[in-house]
Amino acid sequence: MLRSFGALCLSLLGLAALTQAGSSSGNSVLVVLQPSLKRDAFSLFFDGLEKKGYSLTFRAPKDDTPVIIEHDVPLFDHIILFAPDTKSFAKDISPQALVNVLNHKTNLLIALSPKQTPLSLLAAEFSLILPPPGMPLLSHFPPRDTAPTVIPITVPADNAVLTPGTPPVWFSGVPQALGANPLLVPLLRAPPESFAADTDKDAGAEAVVDAAEKGGEGLWAGSALGVVTGFQTRDSARVVWAGGVELFGDEFAKKEIEKGVKSGNTQFALDTAAWAFQENLVLRIDKTGHHLANETTPREHYTINDLIVYDIAISKYNAAEDAWAPYSGLTDLQLDFTMLDPHVRTALVPVAGAPGIYSATFRAPDRHGVFKFVVDYKRRGWTFLHSSTTVPVIPPRHDGYPRFLSAAWPYYAGAISTSVGFLLFSALWLAGDDRETKKTKKTE
Amino acid sequence: MAGPKATAPVKGTSSSTSSSSSPSAVQTLWKAYLDHTAPRLKFIDSFLTFLVLSGVLQFVYCVLVTSFPFNAFLSGFASTVGQFVLTASLRSQVNSENRTLFKDVSPERAFADFVIGSVVLHFFVFNFLG
Amino acid sequence: MPRAYPLPTDLSPATVTNTKSLVRIVAFALISGAAIASRLFAVINFESIIHEFDPWFNYRATRVLASKGFYEFWNWFDPTAWYPLGRVVGGTIYPGLMATSGVIYNFLQAIHIPVDIRNICVMLAPGFSALTAWSTYMFTKEMKDESAGLLAAAFIGIVPGYISRSVAGSYDNEAIAIFLLMFTFFLWIKALKQGSALFGTLAAVFYFYMVAAWGGYAFITNMIPLHALALLLMGRFTNRLYVAYSSWYAIGTLASMQVPFVGFQPVRTSEHMGALGVFGLLQIVAFVQLVRSHVSSKQFNNLLFALAVGAGVVGTVAIVGLTYMGWIAPWTGRFYSLWDTGYAKKYIPIIASVSEHQPTAWPSFFMDLHFLIFLFPAGVVLCFRELRDEHIFVIIYALVGSYFAGVMVRLMLTLTPVVCISAAIALSTVLDTYIDPSEPDLPVPEADETSGPSETTTDAPKKTKKDKTAPPPTSSGASVTELLSGMVVTPPSTSKKGAAKEKKTGIFGTDTRLAVILNAIGMLMFFVVHCTWVTSNAYSSPSVVLASHNADGLQLIDDFREAYYWLRQNTPETAVVMSWWDYGYQIAGMADRPTLVDNNTWNNTHIATVGKAMSSSEEVAYPILRKHDVDYVLVIFGGLIGYSGDDINKFLWMVRIAQGVWPDEIQEPKYFTPSGDYRVDEQASPAMRNSLMYKMSYYRFHELFGGGQATDRVRNQVMPKTGPTLDYLEEAFTSENWIVRIYQVKKEDPLGRDLKTANAFDQGKKRKRTRPPVRRRSAA
Repeated sequence: MLRSFGALCLSLLGLAALTQAGSSSGNSVLVVLQPSLKRDAFSLFFDGLEKKGYSLTFRAPKDDTPVIIEHDVPLFDHIILFAPDTKSFAKDISPQALVNVLNHKTNLLIALSPKQTPLSLLAAEFSLILPPPGMPLLSHFPPRDTAPTVIPITVPADNAVLTPGTPPVWFSGVPQALGANPLLVPLLRAPPESFAADTDKDAGAEAVVDAAEKGGEGLWAGSALGVVTGFQTRDSARVVWAGGVELFGDEFAKKEIEKGVKSGNTQFALDTAAWAFQENLVLRIDKTGHHLANETTPREHYTINDLIVYDIAISKYNAAEDAWAPYSGLTDLQLDFTMLDPHVRTALVPVAGAPGIYSATFRAPDRHGVFKFVVDYKRRGWTFLHSSTTVPVIPPRHDGYPRFLSAAWPYYAGAISTSVGFLLFSALWLAGDDRETKKTKKTE
Repeated sequence: MAGPKATAPVKGTSSSTSSSSSPSAVQTLWKAYLDHTAPRLKFIDSFLTFLVLSGVLQFVYCVLVTSFPFNAFLSGFASTVGQFVLTASLRSQVNSENRTLFKDVSPERAFADFVIGSVVLHFFVFNFLG
Repeated sequence: MPRAYPLPTDLSPATVTNTKSLVRIVAFALISGAAIASRLFAVINFESIIHEFDPWFNYRATRVLASKGFYEFWNWFDPTAWYPLGRVVGGTIYPGLMATSGVIYNFLQAIHIPVDIRNICVMLAPGFSALTAWSTYMFTKEMKDESAGLLAAAFIGIVPGYISRSVAGSYDNEAIAIFLLMFTFFLWIKALKQGSALFGTLAAVFYFYMVAAWGGYAFITNMIPLHALALLLMGRFTNRLYVAYSSWYAIGTLASMQVPFVGFQPVRTSEHMGALGVFGLLQIVAFVQLVRSHVSSKQFNNLLFALAVGAGVVGTVAIVGLTYMGWIAPWTGRFYSLWDTGYAKKYIPIIASVSEHQPTAWPSFFMDLHFLIFLFPAGVVLCFRELRDEHIFVIIYALVGSYFAGVMVRLMLTLTPVVCISAAIALSTVLDTYIDPSEPDLPVPEADETSGPSETTTDAPKKTKKDKTAPPPTSSGASVTELLSGMVVTPPSTSKKGAAKEKKTGIFGTDTRLAVILNAIGMLMFFVVHCTWVTSNAYSSPSVVLASHNADGLQLIDDFREAYYWLRQNTPETAVVMSWWDYGYQIAGMADRPTLVDNNTWNNTHIATVGKAMSSSEEVAYPILRKHDVDYVLVIFGGLIGYSGDDINKFLWMVRIAQGVWPDEIQEPKYFTPSGDYRVDEQASPAMRNSLMYKMSYYRFHELFGGGQATDRVRNQVMPKTGPTLDYLEEAFTSENWIVRIYQVKKEDPLGRDLKTANAFDQGKKRKRTRPPVRRRSAA
């Protein structure tokens, strides 16, 4: 009931937002812009967002209004934090407050800088390991006329978040080493020949050694580092950590990679924001159901060894049309039938002719207990799908066992013959009573 | 399980028929039995023999073939055993030799007891059968 | 015709008989009234509430039965118990109790008396105690006579040993089982005496009821065969025995298998094999008897005797062999623990941990039985004097019952009836002897007079006492030895004749009579006072509501219900609550929430899992809690108010039970201080202080004392200045007196951190810098 109501609300919201393409989770964006940065310097990015239908609200890091969250209800759907150098924020932009709004499903886009700020400390909570303060990413390859901190980076072609064929982008800022957290979604890696160092003068190998020593805690170098990294919480709220704010600026966007080739910054920035703001790779479970193989309505409980059908309807958000559409494209969806441990694990396959419906048919285990249908679909970059439906599996009813087996007929015959014998005996006994009693009396 | 109580009476009757040619203890027993037993008791004894045979058959079937619907076996077998002991009780109660033992139980009362006991027994038997 | 005191002579025999039965009925009504009334202390002191632990389950099951009908009840699968395993309730309970209340409920509804099912459950035990008194009367009547029967009925009506299990609200199987026990025994004795198949059948039917009502039915299953075997060995085989035993066993066994929980046990477990063996033996003996009646050859008899012995041996060997082959289940652990009191502690801590399975303390014999325990041996001795078949039964029952009562506290209950019966026999013999007005110096008229008037007088001993002790007393010290000899020697003997002739002195003197009778009355009165006192003070606490006496008077502590209702009203219906198994039934009954373990301790591993979670550190416990979908954890903490039955005091059992399953991870010695003490203060061992149970019990405890010394009032220890911290759980509710504390299990951190780190972050603690993960060393 509640779920269908939620679905109704969602579809109503979808209808309301139909006029403009945009995010699946709302269009209000708060941009926290540090005073040293001007909106105009990011006009391509911000205009691109507005064109998509987002409404942007600007606020300085130390302003008290507009507030981010009121009575535990976040007032914005997304927050862009372009304040990489700010050391002190208003109270409601503390790291704890940001994690709090994130837990309320507000998406974040955060830019960092080599300086140590509250935000760079916050990055550690997301399993991102930043080099010590003041160590930007350097690269001396390819040879170019810019400073070594301004680096062209090739956009990976196989990342579902990014538009294929995006030209390389200019980057300047701090790299992040990625911890072993499965929630991280690497978007853009540092070039293999780059490293983090606190100098931009030396171009030799010694600089690397130097950097390694200065870092003291390990080497920040190579393509293991990320420069733009996404993070999706367990509740599917999304965060993007960018190593530098210039990535989104007009200057880099207009700067040519090679002669005649414009950089991919604009495209990349909008792609990244699209992922962060829940436009891309967004799935949802519309409904789940279960029933016996030859029935249609769900049962309150099943009996052991029943043949059970479980189906699930999945939709994907289509940002271009700003609408949810049934999606049958998942090939690795699984269903677990679990009690403490999975007793049945089977593939959920798309049903032909029914878009978005996946179904599995299986036999309940020979074990009674409280089972759960669990669908747990966690793929990097995609919304996490999780559904758990509890249903007891009970032993057969007392009259649910097979009765009157052929193997038992001698016993039935025995029991019945005894009864018949008893009746006959009683009848004969009574018939012979008179005569006998006389006789017994005589003998006495 | 019911080895002793089922086999003992059989031995008495069957061996008596087989060894009828030679004069032996069994034969005298048989003779004494024929001579000194009231016809009513003989009638009861024939019913008892039938029950024993039925019980043995079921037991053999259970051991040799299958005991699978164990409840069916138990109820079938228990019905014969129960009926057997009830009938045997009746026999000892109506036996005039035991008159002194059963002061409170007249033969009519004994038969009524027997019927009530049997009805209760068969109720449970059929309840347990399926 | 010499009389010790005058008797009215103008009474017709009809008047005597009528008065007799009237007095008997009145006495019996009074006994029933007393039995029921003394069990109502709990309702008067507290309220009409279900008590303790198990009764809550029975009550819940009864409600299901009453609302959904018997078939649904039979098939009831309870998904909220033993989450997530669930419990097949219909097949794992003795439904007799619920069926009884269900029938009563439906009957009352049918005649339009709208009684709440709860009140039926509360009042069932007192109601059945009246029936128990009646069946004890019937039983004792078979042993001696009506007067002993009335005494026994009065004893069992108010004896604390039985009241402890049957006060109003103590809605447990024992409530009806003792009645069934006594009644089945009565029917058995009756069947044996008469040699009647009817009573045998009735005994079987009530045996079936008993099987359906209480696991203690095994007591009957073994008592009756033991009795039959004893009679057989004493050479007392009769056809009556054959009729009674055969009809009881054949029908009773088949009937007992109809109860789903019992199933095929009667033919497959060792506990029931004795009955089967005796049954077989009786068949053989009966057959041999039959044959013997037809032939008289001694040799032949010997032959048959050998045959019988041989068959017996073969039968025993077959049973043992089948046991080894696994077809017959060997004795269960619960059974072994009856023989070796140390067994359970070593191998099955779960059984040993139950308080009612502890060996009985000596004082509790006096507490529960008072002066009956002194009369008990005398009664048994008196049984030896007559030694009819039924007396042998009482003797065996007394022996077996005494042994078992010594082994387990709860089995005091099975001893109580036989104590009442024996004591009643002894006391009524004393009274008979000393009230009997006839004197032995005129032998001829005495023979027919004793049977007449003496019965009249003994029928209502109390009444007679008051009416007929009028004659003037002449004092002469009656020594104790005289009393004793008088008690034993009822029939007139030549040596006493001289003494009797002296009139009014000596053993037949009124003074002696009065001394003994007044003494007996005095004991009876003390007994009544004692019973009332024990019942009102010791056995009438519902343990759901506690009472404490302080300066202001009686104060009720209602923390349990407060907490359970909090759960009921503030948590989602599917929220799983973890607690130690003691509270499982109460949570299910009062809070209506799924529980992991409850008082039906059928799955040791599951209980050990809870024990492990409670005794491990938070980090270890958290995955266990998540795996079992635990939302709330409930602990009982008595340290503030001094409630000694709290979880910290039960904690070592949790550790022991967990150790039984995970000996590598949980070790009991780690929870003691190096010097081997069990402490919760500064000296507590690290394992103790890190355990979830310790943390949940003492979380924020020191804050209550506002900087002062926090003291645990149960263990009388001073708590450390800094209390434990919790990262994976958060306090959700603590009851008024801190007896019940409920914690909510936190969700996993959305950022994938462990909750300790997340908690540190929330509290604004700086995190240490981490290094990037090393993949391979740089060649530089």
